[in-house]
Amino acid sequence: MTEQSLAIEMRRITKKFPGVVANDQVDLEVRKGEIHALVGENGAGKSTLMNILYGLIKPDTGQIVIDGKPVVMQGPRDAIRHGIGMVHQHFMLIPVFTVGENVVLGREPGTAGDLYDHARAREAITALTKRYGLSLDPDARVGDLPVGLQQRVEIVKVLYRGANILILDEPTGVLTPQEAMELFGVLRDLVSTGKTIIFISHKLKEVLEISDRITVMRRGKVVGHLKTSDTSEAEIARLMVGRDVLLRVDKKPAQPGPVALRVENLTAVSDRGISALHGISFELHQGEILGIAGVEGNGQSELVEVLAGTRRPTGGRVLLGDREVGQLGAAAIRSAGVSHIPEDRRGAGLVLNYSVADNLILGRQRTPLFSWDGIILRLKAILDWARRLIKEFDIRTPSSTTPARTLSGGNQQKIIVAREMASQPRVLLAAQPTRGVDIGAIEFIHRRLVAQRDEGAAVLLVSAELDEIRSLSDRIAVMYEGRIVSIEKADTPEERLGLLMTGGGAGERLKAG
Amino acid sequence: MAAAVKPSARKGPPRILRRAGRALGVPLLSVLIAFVAGAIIVAVTGGNPLQAYQALICGGFGLFCFGGEPSVLQLSNTLVFVTPLIMAGIAVALPFRAGMFNIGAEGQLIMGAILATTVGIHWSGLPAVLLVPLVLLSGALGGALWGGIVGVLKATTGAHEVVTTIMLNFIAQWFLRFLIIGGPLQLPGGSSKSSPIGGNAQLPTLLPHDNTIIFGLPGAVYRAHTGIFVALIAAGVFAFLLWRTSLGYEIRAVGQSQRAARYAGISVRQTLIVTMLIAGAFAGLAGAVQIAGVDHNLTDQYFSDTTGFDAIAVALLGLNSAVGIVLSAILFGALHAGGSVMQSDAGVSGNLVYVLQALILFSIAANFLRTVKLRLPSVGRVPLTPEADAAAAAVAQETDTALAGDDKDIA
Repeated sequence: MTEQSLAIEMRRITKKFPGVVANDQVDLEVRKGEIHALVGENGAGKSTLMNILYGLIKPDTGQIVIDGKPVVMQGPRDAIRHGIGMVHQHFMLIPVFTVGENVVLGREPGTAGDLYDHARAREAITALTKRYGLSLDPDARVGDLPVGLQQRVEIVKVLYRGANILILDEPTGVLTPQEAMELFGVLRDLVSTGKTIIFISHKLKEVLEISDRITVMRRGKVVGHLKTSDTSEAEIARLMVGRDVLLRVDKKPAQPGPVALRVENLTAVSDRGISALHGISFELHQGEILGIAGVEGNGQSELVEVLAGTRRPTGGRVLLGDREVGQLGAAAIRSAGVSHIPEDRRGAGLVLNYSVADNLILGRQRTPLFSWDGIILRLKAILDWARRLIKEFDIRTPSSTTPARTLSGGNQQKIIVAREMASQPRVLLAAQPTRGVDIGAIEFIHRRLVAQRDEGAAVLLVSAELDEIRSLSDRIAVMYEGRIVSIEKADTPEERLGLLMTGGGAGERLKAG
Repeated sequence: MAAAVKPSARKGPPRILRRAGRALGVPLLSVLIAFVAGAIIVAVTGGNPLQAYQALICGGFGLFCFGGEPSVLQLSNTLVFVTPLIMAGIAVALPFRAGMFNIGAEGQLIMGAILATTVGIHWSGLPAVLLVPLVLLSGALGGALWGGIVGVLKATTGAHEVVTTIMLNFIAQWFLRFLIIGGPLQLPGGSSKSSPIGGNAQLPTLLPHDNTIIFGLPGAVYRAHTGIFVALIAAGVFAFLLWRTSLGYEIRAVGQSQRAARYAGISVRQTLIVTMLIAGAFAGLAGAVQIAGVDHNLTDQYFSDTTGFDAIAVALLGLNSAVGIVLSAILFGALHAGGSVMQSDAGVSGNLVYVLQALILFSIAANFLRTVKLRLPSVGRVPLTPEADAAAAAVAQETDTALAGDDKDIA
């Protein structure tokens, strides 16, 4: 391998933040025309490294070489000048603008009178999309496009600015399996025209599928340079976590008991007042995990909120045992034995500035266990409880009085999981229980969910990760546009679920765009 | 957290001192900045800053007095100011904890004073053992009603408390005017004040209130009264409520994250109403103590009273904590008491005190605004340039990375 063939070379990059070395002597070599995956858990230093490459953060020491020439990045402007483009995880698009307007934003072609030149903008975009085989209608309103196409707009935006090296930060997080497949097609096409792609991800299956080579980071250091064809999921996971990881969930067949939760013809509206649930019916048995699969935004969130009592249904019934609980509030439902791991961990599941101990009683601050007559807090009981749960659920925290805000995502989630499981619920609603959580914690939470099931709890698992749904669930209900379109067996192939998730033939929509 | 792991930090002073140091840092710095700026203002306008501050400290704390009145009198005057400031400060701090900005402590205080005066006049025949608590309770009730209106409006119609409290301040002030100028409470004889409350309704002064000579002056000039104990008890109740009760837990949860509170099954509306009721009660109590302790009747002074507004400064400087409120009430009380001494002894206008108070608030505001901003729901941000996006992303990233890094220390 010669210097010539490298698109990017980052040499001995070190970046220290107060109290932590985010990047410690990191080396990264990306060859021209390859898809290079950068993997690592949250906080491993991937984003810092990419922000250094994109000029957002200045390294303390180290050197960046692009196309064989050492460069100094003063800011993103320099990075863009050197042909580096970044596609952020969260799209930076204006929904009411058209595709064309979004793409040229900041570099609008002007007419002589300094007016925005629609025709030239459209021309430029059409040329770009043709060259890279990306189908996009420049006049479509971005807000009307599905997520997969919005992402494509981001990619075109970066290409429009002349990028040769594209950094994609967790690009598949928001996509359906089908959309992800299409994205991979686009990426392969881009590479075939000579572009270089850095693909940041923690989804190992995808990394194995799309990348040519892999750089693994852990705790600010590079722990492995791998060739994709010579490695395996288990090896990458071991490098990322630093120990062997159980990728499959070990579980015995379910022993379903009587119906714990019966939902009949449930309807509800979303925050925007739009009908979100159109008559949901299902039964959840004790001792089983029912997975709810679906592309996000198809009513899963509303369903869980209604069941947890934080959203009022507009119709239908929810029976806990034989008790109607549909109209009860969150406090009453919780005391009836329904636990809830909310999808919005930082917003709803925790009071971030509260201590770990205080968070471990959230929602139970008036129960006899933690208060005298629901008035005065039993501080000692709360601390004892916290110590017990911190130990039992392996919450890594300096102390029980540490604010939850300062813990990692995985440990924050463990606080919630501990709180919601320790009360031995009859029904456990788990919404996206492992989102944004590192592999070690995922493994732990999965084991705990299965343990809850085996102890007889009825578990409703909502997840955007099909793998998670498939490996944990005993039955899988697929939601699409506010309805349960099908209840499938656990071993249903991914392709079938993916198709159901997009409403059967709705996958066509993407190609039409 | 990171500090706890660093070996260098371990050798420092004990943890409790370091925590106190961290908590005091911002307020002390704000006060320091204000005094430096104040000194510049005095010097530029031809005064002597050292002399001005010497007189201010003398007037506030009875320290560094060169001749003139005895220190005890200065301290007594300061206590008179401190007493209502503590309770009104709590009335601002408690809603802050729930995420509300109560600018209405003044109105609540006035309503408390009105109800306390009415009760104090009407039942003046009752023995002091009954009447004093009754007067204080009715003051708290008056304030609670006034604060409760704010809470109910906020919870039902969503009316913003800043607007409603300001309006209710006006209503309370004009209602007071109505009562004592030509209204039912006016003392006959044309003066714009009410009859005094009965002797049994009054809080005793700390020193005997007669002509006994104490520290060279007749006891009657020392106005400091036992209301300070009421104020200190109120601070204790506030701390207990906030940190040791389920309600306090819920109030703080609502202030930190309404989403989390709702998830926890806490009724946000109910909590907001209860918070404003209690806050109003503290302000009303301040008004009642002011009536029962020093003023003994409603006068037109209450039209220009600013205790309820100074309380905002007290709460902010005190970081909405009980101990902080007591300390900052002492500071502001001393400033107010010292202002007149500064004017007479150093020839510097007493209004410098208000300048100082504003400067202190101003320098806290920088920090304060940041916390408010974090709590506001983020408005959809329009990316103007990739650079601006990137910079914002970088800041967010850096914070995340730093936090993530902290976790590494633990693991």
